[in-house]
Amino acid sequence: MPHVRLENITMRFGDITAVRDIDLEIRNGEYVTILGPSGCGKTTLIKIVAGILRPTEGRLFVDGKDVTDVPLEDRDTGYVFQNIALFPHMTIRGNAEYGPKVHSLEGREAEATAQEYLMLVDMLDKAGHFPRELSGGDQQKAALARALASGSRMLMLDEPLSALDARVRMELRYEIRRIVKRLGITVLHVTHDQEEAMSVSDRIILMRKGKIFETGTPLEMYRSPKSIFAAYFIGETNLMECTVESKRKEGGVILRLRNDVLVNVSKSKANVGDIAILSVRPEHVYTATDGLRAHVRDVVFMGTYWRVRTEAESQDYVDYNIPADSEVPEMGEQVYLVFNKKASRVFKRPKDGLTEAIKLE
Amino acid sequence: MTEIRLDGLKKRFGSDMAADGTDLTVESGEYLCILGPTGAGKTTLMRMICGLTEPDEGRVFFGDQDVTYLDTAERGATMLSQTYALFPNMRVKENVLFGSWIKGWPEEESQQLARNILSMMHMESRSKAYPDELSGGQQQRIALARALASGSRVLLLDEPLRALDARLRLELRKDLKGMVKAMGLTAIHVTHDQDEALEMADRIAVLRAGRIIQVGTPKEVFEDPKTPFVANFVGRSNMIQCRVVQSAEGKVVLENEGGLRMEAKDGGQPPGTEVLMAVKVGNTKISTKLPGYFEGRVEKILYEGATITAEVMVKGLGLVYSKLPNRKFDDFREGNTVSVNWSPEKARVFDIPEGGIEYEIRVD
Repeated sequence: MPHVRLENITMRFGDITAVRDIDLEIRNGEYVTILGPSGCGKTTLIKIVAGILRPTEGRLFVDGKDVTDVPLEDRDTGYVFQNIALFPHMTIRGNAEYGPKVHSLEGREAEATAQEYLMLVDMLDKAGHFPRELSGGDQQKAALARALASGSRMLMLDEPLSALDARVRMELRYEIRRIVKRLGITVLHVTHDQEEAMSVSDRIILMRKGKIFETGTPLEMYRSPKSIFAAYFIGETNLMECTVESKRKEGGVILRLRNDVLVNVSKSKANVGDIAILSVRPEHVYTATDGLRAHVRDVVFMGTYWRVRTEAESQDYVDYNIPADSEVPEMGEQVYLVFNKKASRVFKRPKDGLTEAIKLE
Repeated sequence: MTEIRLDGLKKRFGSDMAADGTDLTVESGEYLCILGPTGAGKTTLMRMICGLTEPDEGRVFFGDQDVTYLDTAERGATMLSQTYALFPNMRVKENVLFGSWIKGWPEEESQQLARNILSMMHMESRSKAYPDELSGGQQQRIALARALASGSRVLLLDEPLRALDARLRLELRKDLKGMVKAMGLTAIHVTHDQDEALEMADRIAVLRAGRIIQVGTPKEVFEDPKTPFVANFVGRSNMIQCRVVQSAEGKVVLENEGGLRMEAKDGGQPPGTEVLMAVKVGNTKISTKLPGYFEGRVEKILYEGATITAEVMVKGLGLVYSKLPNRKFDDFREGNTVSVNWSPEKARVFDIPEGGIEYEIRVD
């Protein structure tokens, strides 16, 4: 199964550099997601890997072979687009048989292959329908079957769920992952949706402004982000400006927030006197009898929990969660907040400031 | 005070009932979300409220006034449709200020309002740009800003966040609701996104196939769904077909085809009745130590950020999902045998739906 390597890939459109100096390896059977905001270059990058675009600079290798100049039709790649691209005049079965037939399989063999993949995506009972007779989610499942039936060992998913309803998206992302993992194929999936990336990926490539910003497994990216942008973009987090007050023996630090409240963090490389940003996720903020004083500004029901939004005396907005069964605090009520010190992260304050560091476009 | 009242609205397109006798009341200052899958009739309902589509039957009231046959412009509501249009020859700020110019508001006040709204939309730096210099998501935000600044008391928002990136959507949920509330506006917001509705709405109206199935606060709709569809659409549910074995003290004991026994809140069905039980994945607990209703094998654990999702294969039942806080991640391994459990009061029992279970729990 294919192993993909990108070396120094750069793509320019006129004066605009869409992606710059990308080095990336995708292992056999790995499910890799390129995640990032609109305009970060993620779509350009997947098009280069698929062979739809030829990079301005750099080389692309599949299984050690340089395929940079190999045209799209000679690549062994299945591609699923954001806007469902089934043949409208063919039935779902006809669509699924298309790939195998193009690869000049015998009629019966093509039918058997199509059958196998339609079964895999659970679309056999709708095989006789035309695309327009199906819901968006079913059409996208059929598109997946068609891409897989062509025999590709590498699948490119270009925002495959973006056009679908949120609830359908949720079902399909689990299903897509299950299907491709059963087949063991290599997947490159592009999305702007961090929840989707977290649910499907073995590894996430976070892009920003044409460059790879950070990579890691969903667990690494969420628990130990290396940048403020990753902490903010993947999941939600409270970001607070602070200075490093003192160091502790075990490697921890004491931070001073804007109101002079001191906060303990168990691990940080920051030095005394550094101006820093503290990042604590809402699920790691608790209420106590003492701590950072805050006033409740809003309480929002989120399903299995309540999100409490507060304004702290440090002028930070700090969110925390309480279980759905808990008693809900009143608007304006005073609470004291403490942070899980193991789950708190400290970042150096970026030169251009916090707003710039988390800008989404 | 009642701002908008819909009374028995019906609208048919060919053989499609886009609205099948819709009654709905929206209070002044309320933020109401109409939630439903594509094709449920959400947009048709909005168009009837704002006067772009005439109902076949029924009335639309704004306050005490019957506006059913009144022109859009005379209703005093601003609609932001999915296919909005900005003025291409005007800069961003001029687009936003357009409504207040038409109404002849004081210049300084209008400018201040436009600045506030643009800042909330993270669009301050682009206030001098022309629409064609903006991305789709940026244009969408300008259209939203223009609607907010239009001076109407009532905002009708048709999927206002759909075209935006997921992360930006999260930010704008808070900001948009905050702005609407701060300005004291009444808003009806159509969406297919249950998380968006839960987070933003004062009340949610769940719509399916032209009918409003349930209206309630986010908590009511999530925790006390009226039908299996609502149970599965608003937050994901494990749905299990079973039979009532006995009922006592507000609880029922249920048994499925495979002989597995479990409990749920009593729905009034007598022993022997075939029922459909629904329990939210977030209320479905798994454990390697504690006892449960039945056991299964952990097929997959997905780390999804604040939560993890475990897929558990249960013999005689199939896949059961459990969504847990991320601190539980280290407690389980794939291949583990775990017990599956829930509090009976979190599980709901429904009669077998007339249209069949498969149709009932479809999400599209």
